[in-house]
Amino acid sequence: MNTNTVNSKKAIAQLTIVRIIVYIILAILTILCLFSFYMLIINSTRSNGELQGGFTLIPSTHFIQNLVNAWNDSSINIPRGMLNSFLIAALSAICATYFSALTAYGIHAYNFRGKKFAYWFILAIMVIPSQVAASGFVQICYKFGLTNNYLMLILPGIASPVVFFYMKQYMEAVLPMEIVEAARVDGSNEFFTFNRVILPMLKPALAVQLIFTFVASWNNYFLPSLLLTKSELKTVPIMIAQLRSADYSKFDMGKVYMFILLAILPVVIVYLILNRNIIKGVTSGSVKG
Amino acid sequence: MARVILKDIKKIYPMSGDQKKKKAKGKKTEHKTGNLQITDKGVVAVQAFNLDIADKEFIVLVGPSGCGKSTTLRMIAGLEDISEGDLYIDDELMNGVAPKDRDIAMVFQNYALYPHMSVYDNMAFSLKLKHMDKKEIDVKVREAAEILGITEYLDRKPKALSGGQRQRVAIGRAIVRNPKVFLMDEPLSNLDAKLRNQMRAEILKLRQKINTTFIYVTHDQTEAMTLGDRIVIMKDGYIQQIGTPQQVFDHPANLFVAGFIGSPQMNMMDGRLIKKDGKYAVELPGTTVVLSEEKQARLAANDVAEQEVIVGVRPEHVILTDSGYRGTVEVSELMGSSMHVHLTDVHGKDMVVILNDKKDFDKFTTGAQIDLTFTPDVVHVFDRTTQKNLEW
Repeated sequence: MNTNTVNSKKAIAQLTIVRIIVYIILAILTILCLFSFYMLIINSTRSNGELQGGFTLIPSTHFIQNLVNAWNDSSINIPRGMLNSFLIAALSAICATYFSALTAYGIHAYNFRGKKFAYWFILAIMVIPSQVAASGFVQICYKFGLTNNYLMLILPGIASPVVFFYMKQYMEAVLPMEIVEAARVDGSNEFFTFNRVILPMLKPALAVQLIFTFVASWNNYFLPSLLLTKSELKTVPIMIAQLRSADYSKFDMGKVYMFILLAILPVVIVYLILNRNIIKGVTSGSVKG
Repeated sequence: MARVILKDIKKIYPMSGDQKKKKAKGKKTEHKTGNLQITDKGVVAVQAFNLDIADKEFIVLVGPSGCGKSTTLRMIAGLEDISEGDLYIDDELMNGVAPKDRDIAMVFQNYALYPHMSVYDNMAFSLKLKHMDKKEIDVKVREAAEILGITEYLDRKPKALSGGQRQRVAIGRAIVRNPKVFLMDEPLSNLDAKLRNQMRAEILKLRQKINTTFIYVTHDQTEAMTLGDRIVIMKDGYIQQIGTPQQVFDHPANLFVAGFIGSPQMNMMDGRLIKKDGKYAVELPGTTVVLSEEKQARLAANDVAEQEVIVGVRPEHVILTDSGYRGTVEVSELMGSSMHVHLTDVHGKDMVVILNDKKDFDKFTTGAQIDLTFTPDVVHVFDRTTQKNLEW
């Protein structure tokens, strides 16, 4: 056996060990991610009594019972709550993504005085905690009688510096100015260029941000709980909190887990719809790579 | 079809924040950084640009990177503001007019196709924006596709096409509009050498078919020579020479043009311009060449005195002789029908000689000494200080 063969065998062995370690880490991370979902599904099949009894990995038989209990609970209206949440989350996601992309495009494609300042000012907003900004916002809403109004939960989402930053970075990576210029020469006005040429090129980034903003808004408890007081306007997170804080005689953990399971279904559906666009690289082939 | 006039065009890019800070600190700002001049107003990318482009003329702007050729083209397109000067298309002042209202079409270096649209939609995009009838759009797109040989790809997306096919689509997108002026910004520089030659011929054919005014930007002197009715050679934002390909090749205005046009580039030798029996001659170590009558007349008309000069001779105009300007062979490149011999002359400068006679090919091994001379009508004489051609 010559030295080369020994070296190559050593290298293969080392590579195999590294791969095994990597796969073990990935497997642990995957289990950690999926474990909470698994537990949610298991717990939604268990009765309140069984849940009080402690932790188990084996499903029980109370799935339908929990579903019926949650659906028929008089203190909450699940279909209404899900519709409310969906309306707010979908509109917030659309507004935040579209207007952030538009802002990012403005900063990316145009040269104007104060451009750098505008960019850094928007980014600086990221460091302000949303709770700090919300305190003033809630006061204004109460002063002007704007509580119980969905617009107050949708419109603030338009100013989303995180989405703006993501879109700006994505544009820098994939959007050559020649395409914008080609559209200008072709006779397209600036707004038409953005809507018909630029937005389709940003599909993967838009899909990612739509999912993120949809999920963030769907799970948002803080602002809706402060601004929505009418029961018919309440969203899913408020209703879940309501179920959890029910008095001892009505408290049913099985019902709570079932509602949480139902609550994540729309998010899963939205993810499955947009997932295709994330993977699809629509921009390939537009310019010389 | 249109006449394009550029009058005293100047482009200044305003100073960046850092440059302004330097200025505020009292540092001198009127200087040259790299190629371009920097003044108090900013970086001067193009200046004193005067050009009258005739209707249906094919003009090529050529020069090295950063010379201002693309900036000039973009000013014509309306994609850059004109800092000073006037631009006329068909006698209409175009300075403040938006690109879409200039009736121009442009082909970009990296195609700039809309990736989410099919080839057909890419080509039809501008016509749809004009609210043209669908049937008319279809006729125009198919006609253009036929000219460019891309009919079979009309339903494909750009990513499913090769580089050459994409560039054809980009050209197709421009020709469907039947524009007054056709602008092309280095359209072939992303293609490989073989495809570039093929597309060059296609552009020539296309020009005959669509017969409009072309303004073409390239850094490739071969493209400039083969495509242009006239060539505009630029350097550091200034026009160096305007002329037909033959004019700029035969009578370069200065040392830069002489070196830029022609491949391999012109040989430059240190020599002396003398008057011998009342006639101008160039004196080089080992040989003296009395210039042709035509050159005599031009130099006399300029009242050129005896002086140290740079003598320029193209590699294809060098003649082998028994005793003359001596060089030592460094390497030889066999090109098939000819041989390029790289030499070092007596002053240690590099020279290239092109030999076409196959009988000579074996003689030039590394280290061999050869003697050269030059025919009187192809020797160029440049001022050592100004680098201008003394015949001009």
